[in-house]
Amino acid sequence: MTIKFRDPFLHPIWTKIQSGERLSLEEGLALYKTDDLISLGKMANFVQCQRSGDAVYFVLNQKIEHTNICVLSCKFCDFAVKKGDPAAYEMTTEEILSKLTPEIHEVHITGGMPADWPWERYLDIVRSVHQQFPHADVKAYTAVEIDFFHKKFKLSIEDVLRQLKAAGLRTMPGGGAEVFSERARKLLFNQKIGAKTWFEVHKTAHKLGIPTNSTMLYGHVETLEERLIHMIKLREAQDETGGFLTFIPLAFQPGDTGIKPRDQFTSAIDDLKTIAVSRLMLDNIPHIKAYWVMLTEEVASIALNFGADDMDGTVGQERIAHDAGATSPMKLAKDQIIKIITDAGKIPVERDVYYNPLNVYAENVIGKIPYLNSVPFYHHFEQRQFKMLPVAPRRMGLLEEKGQIAAGLFSLMDYYRQEEQLDLLRWCIATRDQVKSVMLFSNHGWRDLDGKLIGITDDTATSVKLLEVLLEEKYNVSATFRRLTTGVNDYSAYDAVLLIGDEALHANKFGLDTFELVYDLAKEWYDWQKLPFVFAVWATKKSLPASMKDELGEIIEHSLNESGNRFGEIGELAGRRIGLTKSEVEDYLAGFNYSLGERERESMREFRQLAGRVGKMAKHTPPL
Amino acid sequence: MNLETLYQKVYAGGRLSPEEGLFILKNHQLLDLGGVANDVRHRTNPRRHVTFVVDTNPNYTNICNVDCIFCAFYRHEGEEGGYTYSVDQMIENFKRSAANGVTTILLQGGVNPKIPFEYYCEMVERTVREVPGVTPHFWSTSEIIGMSQVSGLTVPRVLQRLWDAGQRTIPGGGAEILADRVKRKISHLKGSSADWLNVMRDAHKIGFKSTATMMYGHLETDEDIIEHLESIRKLQDEYHGFTAFVPWSFKPGNTPLEKIIPRYATPMRYLQMIAFSRVYLDNFDHIQASWFSEGKKTGQIALHFGADDFGGTLFEENVHAAANFVNKTNIDEVLQLIHDAGFIPAQRTTLYDVLRVYEKAAAA
Repeated sequence: MTIKFRDPFLHPIWTKIQSGERLSLEEGLALYKTDDLISLGKMANFVQCQRSGDAVYFVLNQKIEHTNICVLSCKFCDFAVKKGDPAAYEMTTEEILSKLTPEIHEVHITGGMPADWPWERYLDIVRSVHQQFPHADVKAYTAVEIDFFHKKFKLSIEDVLRQLKAAGLRTMPGGGAEVFSERARKLLFNQKIGAKTWFEVHKTAHKLGIPTNSTMLYGHVETLEERLIHMIKLREAQDETGGFLTFIPLAFQPGDTGIKPRDQFTSAIDDLKTIAVSRLMLDNIPHIKAYWVMLTEEVASIALNFGADDMDGTVGQERIAHDAGATSPMKLAKDQIIKIITDAGKIPVERDVYYNPLNVYAENVIGKIPYLNSVPFYHHFEQRQFKMLPVAPRRMGLLEEKGQIAAGLFSLMDYYRQEEQLDLLRWCIATRDQVKSVMLFSNHGWRDLDGKLIGITDDTATSVKLLEVLLEEKYNVSATFRRLTTGVNDYSAYDAVLLIGDEALHANKFGLDTFELVYDLAKEWYDWQKLPFVFAVWATKKSLPASMKDELGEIIEHSLNESGNRFGEIGELAGRRIGLTKSEVEDYLAGFNYSLGERERESMREFRQLAGRVGKMAKHTPPL
Repeated sequence: MNLETLYQKVYAGGRLSPEEGLFILKNHQLLDLGGVANDVRHRTNPRRHVTFVVDTNPNYTNICNVDCIFCAFYRHEGEEGGYTYSVDQMIENFKRSAANGVTTILLQGGVNPKIPFEYYCEMVERTVREVPGVTPHFWSTSEIIGMSQVSGLTVPRVLQRLWDAGQRTIPGGGAEILADRVKRKISHLKGSSADWLNVMRDAHKIGFKSTATMMYGHLETDEDIIEHLESIRKLQDEYHGFTAFVPWSFKPGNTPLEKIIPRYATPMRYLQMIAFSRVYLDNFDHIQASWFSEGKKTGQIALHFGADDFGGTLFEENVHAAANFVNKTNIDEVLQLIHDAGFIPAQRTTLYDVLRVYEKAAAA
C-alpha cells in the first residue's frame, strides 16, 4: 500500500510497519510529533485492518460503583469522598443487583476503597452478579483495589485473584495504571500503586487465566516520552504473558481537580494521535479502545479510522468521568453506537468479554479465518462490496446460525450443521498428511487419556470432533472435554489441551506449559485413514444473490492465483507474529491443499460417518 | 472510473465533473479523500496559517414568515417571545462588540414584513459611520428578497442601495441545499435554489463578496450535494465573488424536522463534506471549519481534512443556541484550538485579509 506522505520522516517507519517490525521509542516520538495527521491515521488504520478487518467491537455493559468512600485522596479524582461526607454512599449487593438489566453482557465493577468493608462483601458482589446474570461477564476491581485487598485482608495477590475467579470474576479493568512514570506519580497520584505493583497484579491474573485490560491516563503532567515508555512497558509485559486484551487511552478530564484549568481538555489531534501511536507501538495487544465517555462521541467515531477497533456500548452510569465534567451524554443507545460504527465505514460487532463476536450488524460480511494457514485466500483479496470479519471457526459457525455471515471459510462441522442454508464453493482448507496446527498437548499417551480432562480451545468446531473420533474410534477411550476461554488460560488444571490455528503453531514450536507429549491430529487421521483431512470449506448463504456468489468466486480465484506458491513471502508477516521463520512458514503452508478435490470429498464423507457414530450431528455444538 | 485515477486528476489540477464527484462521494475511504483534500489545501494556501475572524452574530428580529422546519429560532408576529430591535438598539450593541475587538458583525434575523426598507439602509449606513473598524456583514438572501417585497424595488436595486449605504459583504446563509427537491420540503416558503443563486449573482455582479454555505444532514442525497456544489462552483466561475465555502450539519433539536431526522449527522460525515468540498470546489480559496456548529474537536480535526479557516469567535449565537446547541468560546480559546491542532492562528477580516499572525502559539 502506498501512502503519499507530507512528512518524509514517516517513510522509514512505514516500511517497518509494513514488514511487521517493532517500533522504537524514537520512532514513536516521530509519530507523535508529525504534522501529517492523516498519514499517521492511514498507517494505524492499516494495522487495525490487518488485525480486526472491518470490525469495530462493542460490548453492552453496565458500570457499578459500589461505593464512593475511599481511603485514598488522589488529586485527579473528584469522585471519592470520605466516610460521613453527605455525598457518601455504599451499595448493598441487593441494590447492585437491582440496577442491572438482563440484556447486558458485561458488568464493570469498580469503586472507592472504604476502610470497613469485609473481604466477603467484595466476593459476594462478584458471586451474586455472576449467579444472577450468568450471561453477563464480570469485569471487576482495578489493580489498585486488588492490591488494597491483598494488604488489608492479608492475602497474597494470587489468593485474592483465585478467590475472585472462583466467585465468577472473568476479567479485570485496566484502571490505576495512570502513566508509568515515578515523576508523574509523585506529582499526582502518590497514594496509588506504582508500575511495579500494577504489573504484578496483572501478570498474576494472566497466569490464572484472567485476561485484563490496560489503560493510560494522558493529558496532565506527563511528557510524550513518558507516554511512550508507558506503552513500551505494556508491550514487554504482553510479550511475557499475552494476557492483555485491549489498551484504552484515557484523556484526562480536568474538572475541579485543580491540575489544569477546568475547560482545558486534550486536543482532538492529541487524542487521535494517541490512538494511532498506541495502535502502532503496541504490536502485541489485540485491541485499542476509543473510550467515548472521555474522548467525546465526536472524536471516538473518528478514532475508528485511526486505529481503534473497540467502543463501549450503553454504559448505564459513568460517575467518575462525569463528575469531572465529561461532556458526552450519559448514555449512548445501542443503535447510536451501531450508527457511529457504520458511519465510520466499519461493521458493528457486539462482543463478549473475551472479544468473541456475538452479533454482527451489517450486510455482506465475510467470515475470515484469522490463521496463517488461510493467508493464501486473503493476501490478495479485493473486498469490493464485501466486509471482512476475522473470526475463529467455531464463532463463525455460531454467527452463521443467526444468518449474520454472508459467506466464509466454514469449519466442516458447521458446514454440515447448516448445509441446508449454505452453498458449497470449490475451495477448502485440507491437509496433505500432517498439519502442525491442530495439536493435542498432553501429559498422557492416547490410551491413557481415558476419563481424563481435556481442555478444548474455544475456537474449534471440527477439530474437537476429530479428537472425539480419534479417541473413541481409533483408540477406544473416552475423555471429558471442557472449553477453554479465548486468550489466556491456566493449563495446569488439564491433563491435555487441544489447540488449533496460530496458537497451536506457536505452542508446537515453543512448547505449552509443562505438557510433554504433542500429537498432530491430521497426522493421526492420515496414518489411520490414508486420507487428507478437510478442516474447513468455503460456502455462501444460499440466499446470497447469484451475482455476488460469482463475484466472490472470482475474488477467491484471483487471490489464490496471485498468491501462487509464494507461501514464504505472503505468510512472512503473519508468521513473524507467531515466531516462525520464513522457511517454516513456507513448509507449513505447502502442507495444505486449497481446492476441494475428489480425495477431499471422500475424506469428508468418511469423517461425517465417523462423526455421526461418536456423537449426534446436533443442531448446536455439543455441550462440553 | 476508479478513485485512484480521479485523485490523480485532482493532483494534476484537473476539475472533477459532477459524475466523477458523485463517484468519489459514494465510494471513497475517508482518510484517502482527506489526504487529497489536505494536499489541495496546502497547494491553495501553502502557509500553515489557519485564519479566524473576531465576530459576533446578533439578531435584530426573530419574527419570520418563512416557517422553515429546520429552524428553532423564529416566532410569528404577535407570538410570545417575538422581538424586533430598533436601529439605535442595534448600534449600541455593535459598539459594545467593537469595544471587545469585534471586526465583523454578522447580522441576520427573520423575514419580518413589518420592517420598512429604510430600516436596513439606515442600519448599514450608521454602522459604517458610527462603528468604525467593523465590517457590516448583514442579511441573508431571504431577508434581501424580503426587502425587495417590502420596498417594491428589484433585488439588484435593493443590493445597490445597500452597497451605496456602505455594505460590501453579505453572509452566505440560507442556501441550505440548492436542490429544489429538498428545498421544497424543508423550507417551502424560502424560495427556490435559483432565488438564492440569483441574489448572490446580483450581489457579486455589483462587487459584493459573500460566503457560500450548505446545510446537510437532513433529507438530502449525495446527488443533491453534488447539485449544490456544482451550482456554486459555476457561479464562482462567473464573478469569483465567494470568499469561502462553509458546510454545516443540520441540528435537529426543537425543530419540526426533528421528528423526521432524529439524529445529528456524524463527525465522519462532516469531515467528508469538508474534504470533498475542498477537492470539488477548485475555484474557492477557503474552506471554513465551523467549530461552533460541529464541536471544537471536530473543528480541529477538519483543519487536517482540507479546511484552512476556523470561522468566527461568535460572541453571540442565538440561532443554534435555540436548538440546544450552545458552544461558547473566545479569542484565547480559538488561538489555543488552532495551535493545538498544529497550525499558526491568523486573525483575518471579513474579506480574508490577514490582520495579525500569532506566530508564538496561543496566549495560553
